[in-house]
Amino acid sequence: MEEFQTGEEASFLVDEVSSIIKEAIEGAIGGNAYQHSKVNQWTTSVVEQTLSQLTKLGKPFKYIVTCVIMQKNGAGLHTASSCFWDNSSDGTCTVRWENKTMYCIVSAFGLAL
Amino acid sequence: MAEQPVPEAALLAQVLAAANSEAPSLRTTRRGSQPAARGTEDSKPPALLSRRNSILSRRSSFGMVPGSRRPSLGPGMLHRHVSFSGLPIFQPILKTRLENTYRMGPDKGCKFDAERVQRVLEGTLARALGSSVYSPQGNAPLAQSLTELLQNQAKEVVPPRYKLVCHVVLGQQGQQGLLVASRGLWDPETDSFASATFSNASLFAVATVYGLYFE
Repeated sequence: MEEFQTGEEASFLVDEVSSIIKEAIEGAIGGNAYQHSKVNQWTTSVVEQTLSQLTKLGKPFKYIVTCVIMQKNGAGLHTASSCFWDNSSDGTCTVRWENKTMYCIVSAFGLAL
Repeated sequence: MAEQPVPEAALLAQVLAAANSEAPSLRTTRRGSQPAARGTEDSKPPALLSRRNSILSRRSSFGMVPGSRRPSLGPGMLHRHVSFSGLPIFQPILKTRLENTYRMGPDKGCKFDAERVQRVLEGTLARALGSSVYSPQGNAPLAQSLTELLQNQAKEVVPPRYKLVCHVVLGQQGQQGLLVASRGLWDPETDSFASATFSNASLFAVATVYGLYFE
């Protein structure tokens, strides 16, 4: 039971997660224009890359990563999320990214075990 | 400073009114006569906090039986601590010693029921957005209130010991393409998700609720 006392490493660090997400987005869709046929593959690779980097941190967390890619066409978009969890140990990080042809919003939620 | 016996309800109301500001009269009625403590208010933070703790522990005993598993940081409890008086209540960080529940997973038949939650989501989305029109200013608070609403609805159908994450994407209906994808790292036997979409002529909404078992 002693190993489940919260140490310094078992907390959700927003900055760290945010940089992980940014790298994943840049790597997957960095210089590309929106293409309907490729968008499926892009979201998958963004999400998988983010998740694998998060697991490499080795913290006792369950993760959920969500990615929304939308073509820039003049339409508006809102995202919101609400969570029922333990505020002291769980956290979330959302990154908004865009280029000339599309928006990409990635949210990562980490829930402590 | 006359000390009169103050009933618990009145004491609680006083705590609400005083919030974080230290009310000397409150302290004296609670702890007996302490005229010497008047000048040294700063040296008594532990006493003040212990008073507050005892009030809060009494408050939390309304819902849960103290003694058996009573984590002070259990899911949902912190919600109430923050919003109770509208101001954050700063407690000392107690090292909670959780008693062993001897539970490895959710009870049989008590898993996250994805279909049921999906039906709830679809119904709620249709009711809430049935006749709405997209507007840039109005939709931001609408998205937030929609997540709160969906979360509350989901809480009712989801078994206990589950943490929920509710995610809503709300957008204007145009000629654009959109893809929402997500992946989770969890225990597939106990954790799952449910999602629903809704669209009308001027807007679309995608709602996802993830349920994760927390032991």
